[in-house]
Amino acid sequence: MKRRKIEIKLSQQQQQQTSQIEKQPETAKVPFTGNITIDLDQVRKELGHNSDVGFREFFLGNTGIRASIIFLYGLTDKELINKYILKSLMTNFPERHEHREVSLKEFITNQALTISDLTEVNNLYDTVSKILTGNTALLVDGIQEVIILGTTKEKARNIEEPVSEALVRGPRIGFTETLSDNTAILRQHGCNHNLSIIQIQVGARSKKELVIAFINDIADPALVDEVKERIKTINIDDLPESGYVEQLIEDNYLSPFPQVQNTERPDRVFSALMEGKIAILLDGSPFALIVPVTFSMLLQSPEDYYERWIPGSLIRLLRFLAAILSLFAPSMYIAFISFHPGLIPTKLALSIISSREGVPFPALIEALIMEISIEILREAGLRLPKPIGPAMGIVGGLIIGEAAVQAGIISPIMVIVVSITAISSFAIPQYSAGITLRILRFVAMFCAAVFGLYGIILFFLLLCSHLVKLKSFGVPYVSPAVPYRISDWKDFILRMPLFMMKRRPKMLHTRDSNRKG
Amino acid sequence: MKRRNFFWLLKCSLVLLLLLQLTGCWSSKEIEELGLVAGTALDLEKKADLSEEVEGHEERYPNRVMITITNQLITSQTTESGKKTGAPQQKSFKNVSETGDSILPVLRKMILKIDKRAFAQHSKVIVIGEDLTRTLNLQQILDFFLREQEMRLSGQILIAKNNAKKTLESQETSVIPAFHLFQITKSQERTTKILPPLSLAKVMGKLHSGSSFLVQTVVSEKGEVKFAGAAVIKGKTKKLLGFLNEKELEGIVWLTGKGKGGVVKSFDKATSQPIIYEIKSMKSKIQPRIVNNNISFDVKIESEGSIAEHWVPSGKPFENEFLKKAEKTTEKEVESLVKNVLVKTQQNYRVDVAGFGNRLRIEYPRVWEKVKQDWDHTFSKIPIKYNVNLTVKDYGTSGSN
Repeated sequence: MKRRKIEIKLSQQQQQQTSQIEKQPETAKVPFTGNITIDLDQVRKELGHNSDVGFREFFLGNTGIRASIIFLYGLTDKELINKYILKSLMTNFPERHEHREVSLKEFITNQALTISDLTEVNNLYDTVSKILTGNTALLVDGIQEVIILGTTKEKARNIEEPVSEALVRGPRIGFTETLSDNTAILRQHGCNHNLSIIQIQVGARSKKELVIAFINDIADPALVDEVKERIKTINIDDLPESGYVEQLIEDNYLSPFPQVQNTERPDRVFSALMEGKIAILLDGSPFALIVPVTFSMLLQSPEDYYERWIPGSLIRLLRFLAAILSLFAPSMYIAFISFHPGLIPTKLALSIISSREGVPFPALIEALIMEISIEILREAGLRLPKPIGPAMGIVGGLIIGEAAVQAGIISPIMVIVVSITAISSFAIPQYSAGITLRILRFVAMFCAAVFGLYGIILFFLLLCSHLVKLKSFGVPYVSPAVPYRISDWKDFILRMPLFMMKRRPKMLHTRDSNRKG
Repeated sequence: MKRRNFFWLLKCSLVLLLLLQLTGCWSSKEIEELGLVAGTALDLEKKADLSEEVEGHEERYPNRVMITITNQLITSQTTESGKKTGAPQQKSFKNVSETGDSILPVLRKMILKIDKRAFAQHSKVIVIGEDLTRTLNLQQILDFFLREQEMRLSGQILIAKNNAKKTLESQETSVIPAFHLFQITKSQERTTKILPPLSLAKVMGKLHSGSSFLVQTVVSEKGEVKFAGAAVIKGKTKKLLGFLNEKELEGIVWLTGKGKGGVVKSFDKATSQPIIYEIKSMKSKIQPRIVNNNISFDVKIESEGSIAEHWVPSGKPFENEFLKKAEKTTEKEVESLVKNVLVKTQQNYRVDVAGFGNRLRIEYPRVWEKVKQDWDHTFSKIPIKYNVNLTVKDYGTSGSN
């Protein structure tokens, strides 16, 4: 009882906190007076203490009307401000502006300023938030509204090849941190008037732009609504990476399996869109999210489609094998060594016996030592500066492995098993799926150590029952295996020739199911 | 709500984890703590008084036959890298013997001698000594091995002339004699002097059917093992009746058509030089006939092969004449082999080991019902006709000479 009370209290506090965040704008949404001295003071109060905010006061031409622009150093395009705002307002402003037909404001917006992106706001809160995203605010004496001029200069890096998903054959283009660039890449790729790009603002404190992209006449409208719905429920102060979005909209937070796919590759995103899936892009993150996702998607690579269907299918089969190996190889070793020596071929049994002579640990401990050290090695290699990385591999892999065998702590066969496992886990194209299998591998090892092969089978059944239950945005995770849909198997374990894939996957309930005539 | 759910799940999984710990490593056997049983030899212990520690209750049955069991163990110490460097070369196996009047108690007695748990799933051969099969019923000897779950039914049965224990010994340190024997049973493809492998699974059926059968015989001479002929087990008593030598064994293989390869050596009449016929395929059909309640058998043996070697100076394999001649002499040779073994089994041993009874059972089940009780006896008086037909298909890569 007591605990429940505390929990209620906690949740109340949380509610209060969130409402505070939301209340802030309410108090600040006071309209401007139109008197530049008062209004400017208001803005100064809000932003004046920041060193990167610039205030520039001037007169409109020779009219003697006071005006001021407020902008951020660094984020705004100085050239744009100088050439097209200040120049047109100060030097090129006609002396007799009193064209009686138009008001001053209309004259400025419609005739004076040669800027494409122009909006008007009339309160302090909106003004400040616009300024902070790189816009320039123009205050003119006598005009109640503030004119917001789009002068944002985006800090962007060049479009580079995606690092986390390298391909031999395929476009060398990758997403960047800039949302507008990313959407532009999608547009460029598609040239499709049905490609919808819908912007939603997320984040309570720091506002971030988020984009939902889908093909209008393919994607299931219910799915689109569901995605929008889930994104609207995001209530968090900041979203530094699309991983936040992923975790906040996923179906089952307890599952070890990723229920949202992330990718740096625009081609991958676009082919997903063409299947009726939905992409989510967040400003500031080069990783686009794709929903819904099925398990087989995590073992697929765009190259499966770029290559001809025979190598594509075989490589896909190889990946399934690699997934099974990376999940079960060490646990199988444990089970065979310590529970079912009779199932090993006699000659192999003899060589295992001789190689394990003098190894002081049971198979589980031996496997754990090796598996954990290889995980540490991998983690260490990931964080190390690039020049030291390979040295790490040599020290860890060769020296420690060799020395451990020579010292008799580990049997040589264990080293082989561990390296096969590690290599096959590298063969999984999706990093997040690889991590899942790495985690589950340890569970499988414990099951094997307790019950042998029987334990592995129990673990596998448990895993299957979880997978069958799991859904990603309403699509069963292991479809098309369960529920069984033979027509979708064309693109499952094997990748059938393109001429056979005439329809889009049925599991996504697309509006237009014809892919090919 | 979500958070409570999470903690609840966490607690549940912790409890489950603890539960798993309770089982420990259930029925786990670490491979390095096992002694793999590679083969077993069973011998009759003649000097029964040798076993000093006969337990009290065993004394009540003083006339029990004593069996010596030898297990060939491979442990982590005997394998290649397990041996300490610098030490004199050790044997790669360890033979442990114990004596008693039944199998399992004796095997359990071995535990007192060895530090490893004996593990029989890799057991390849069971060698039974000649004396033991003469005195004891094979069914009784093998009962434990057929019953034991750890025994693989693929293990081979062999009968040793003289001493079975000696067949599991070897001068060479790197050879494991049991595996050596097992490998030889597989070379049936290239010789007719070895019987098709007789595994535990097959022997089980033969013992139950009550028919007589043959078991491959192995001899140990001067530290070398050799497959030599076959042992005849009489169906009724399930005891050893006698041996067939290699020639007779070849006759049986021809009769049954079970051979997969091998050679037949015959002599050219004119020059008395050898012609060697290599068997490519072999077929035999035993056809039972019943005329006026008299059973008789026709055996039709067919084979295709090639001339592998011939020393006949005038022989020209290009000419059909020579080939026909070669076929004829080889046919004669095979016929004599078959005749030889029929005489031996019908007149000396009076058992049917070539499966004539089985053919009769299939073709004339009613007749079989009548004769099966005393089949071996009936068989010894049945006339058997045989017809050998060989075809020389090619003469290798050389036509001259």
